[in-house]
Amino acid sequence: MNRRNLLLLAFAAAVAVQLAVPAWMIAGRELTMRAGKLFKFKTRPVDPVDAFRGRYVWLGLEPGAVMVPDAKKWRTNQKVFAVLGTDSNGFAMVNRLERAMPAGGEASVKVRVQWSDIYKNEVRIGWPGLDRYYMTEKKAPEAEKAYWDHNVRTNRGCHVTVRVRGGSAVIENLFIEDKPVSDWLNENKK
Amino acid sequence: MNKKSVQWLYGEMPGLVARGIISPETERRLREHYGPAEPVRPARLAVIIFSVLGSLLIGAGIILMLAHNWENLSRAARAVLSFLPLALAQGLAAWALIKRPQSMAWSEGAATLVFLMIGASISLVSQTYNISGDLPSFILAWSLLGLPLVYIFNAVTPGLLYLWGITEWACHLRIEDGANAGYWLLAALLLPQLALWMKAGRYQVRPTLLLWAACASVTVAAGVTIERVLPGLWIVLYASLFALMFLAGEFWFREAEGFWSRPLRHFGAGGVLALSFLFTFEWPWHRIGWNHWQWERIHDAPWRAIPDAALGGMIPLAAIVLLVTTVRRKAPLGLVFGLAPVIAALGYCLSSLYESSAPSAGLFDLYLLAIGIWLMASGIRTGKQGQMNVGLLAVTALIVARFFDSDLSFLLRGLVFIALGLAFLATNIFMLRRKGVSHEQA
Repeated sequence: MNRRNLLLLAFAAAVAVQLAVPAWMIAGRELTMRAGKLFKFKTRPVDPVDAFRGRYVWLGLEPGAVMVPDAKKWRTNQKVFAVLGTDSNGFAMVNRLERAMPAGGEASVKVRVQWSDIYKNEVRIGWPGLDRYYMTEKKAPEAEKAYWDHNVRTNRGCHVTVRVRGGSAVIENLFIEDKPVSDWLNENKK
Repeated sequence: MNKKSVQWLYGEMPGLVARGIISPETERRLREHYGPAEPVRPARLAVIIFSVLGSLLIGAGIILMLAHNWENLSRAARAVLSFLPLALAQGLAAWALIKRPQSMAWSEGAATLVFLMIGASISLVSQTYNISGDLPSFILAWSLLGLPLVYIFNAVTPGLLYLWGITEWACHLRIEDGANAGYWLLAALLLPQLALWMKAGRYQVRPTLLLWAACASVTVAAGVTIERVLPGLWIVLYASLFALMFLAGEFWFREAEGFWSRPLRHFGAGGVLALSFLFTFEWPWHRIGWNHWQWERIHDAPWRAIPDAALGGMIPLAAIVLLVTTVRRKAPLGLVFGLAPVIAALGYCLSSLYESSAPSAGLFDLYLLAIGIWLMASGIRTGKQGQMNVGLLAVTALIVARFFDSDLSFLLRGLVFIALGLAFLATNIFMLRRKGVSHEQA
């Protein structure tokens, strides 16, 4: 094989891998969207702008803390799995934390340990994979404002639905006053 | 011999033959030996630069348009669309590879566009599915997917982007306190291509650009990949790194002309000077050394000791090996800059033993003064005005810095500043005059 054909072959291989990565990402998320179990997460306030990936609403999911038997076992910045359950009001809760993905396909989400309180035996967690809801440049600020207005202490009318399959989680929608955010924005136009 | 010298020689030869200094036969044989001396045509360089710039602009434009985010499209449509920019760029690149394999402008431009569109594609998918959070993994995946373009298209711009990517990745992981020593392996993936380019001509544009970028990248990475188990290790590490760059530049890139064609030498020299200036202050020497071991960092994660030991061992060792060779070759400039790691190690030991920063800072006062004076003197002797001015600048910086530390009166400070200014002017005028005289004599 001459040099030119070898280069073309190498390029074809590179092209295949380059296309396979986004394809793999899409396939995994689509599968989760279709076959995943639905969880409703309560939210709390936050915000900013990511110039690189467009505008989005910055979300803060709850619970932000989990009671554990021994808080000393968890260190800051550790990536762990939060095994999910549902509370009596139908919202998502964290049953327990695990170092590795639980076997047997239990619904779990990767979270990051922020710090652990060894006196209360409580671990503060962040939800780094589920902190953005993307919208258009025009709508994101409006949605953000609505999200803010509905996340004050007296008014907690926001929640997020997430599909979870095994250890993979995808945000499905952002709800304000129990309506999808795009519908809510249409109804509440100034 | 570089091309400029060959051109000069060819210009001289007709005269030499006419005056009977060399025979026509010798002229012919010299021409055969050195081959043709074509100047780089500026027009071609401009085309290459504009093709890369064009690709960068188009790529950035597409990324921004995607960031604009179409909500009205269905999820399936967006999924398909996210492949579009990448597939188009790949098509263009395939055309360039088949039809214009020799054109540097096409190779650089097309490969750059593909590199950027990989990022655009992944970003668009992330946006559609609200994927977020793991920025380092995104950058690493993007860089690794773009790396083959360097080899396939023989192009340097994707190499520069790759270096940026892995450096950015290492920095982000440092912020998250993750393991990022893998940077060194990732950076080494560029070495085979660099070696190929250097074999074809080490002073050409591609290896030179890559070396400049590599110097900058390695300088950042050295700081973020050490784990700070042993406080102050960075002092010895950076002194060794810059000395190593300088000595490598002196050894393997001697014949290059001009500032920009000697990245290792000039980055290294600049690094040693800037670092030595920093080390004349007392703050870098506070609370360092083996009495301040960060046990808890190793206790949590024992692997942290490995990058520290490897970097802190290998880079100084390499610098010392080159220094020894320099001493054998009797190259005084190499010795002056190459001594930095030895002085830094000495300062480190002094600070660790006596728990005091003054002796180490004083040591570097002396070292910087010695470098400055030596550069000045040798610059004047050999007629290198740039070198002389760098030496003068080093001495001036040292004097000014020590001045602000002291409680001298404003009158005295003023007088010393005037004296320094006069010294700059006088030496430069002296050099210009001397050059003028030598021109007239010639």
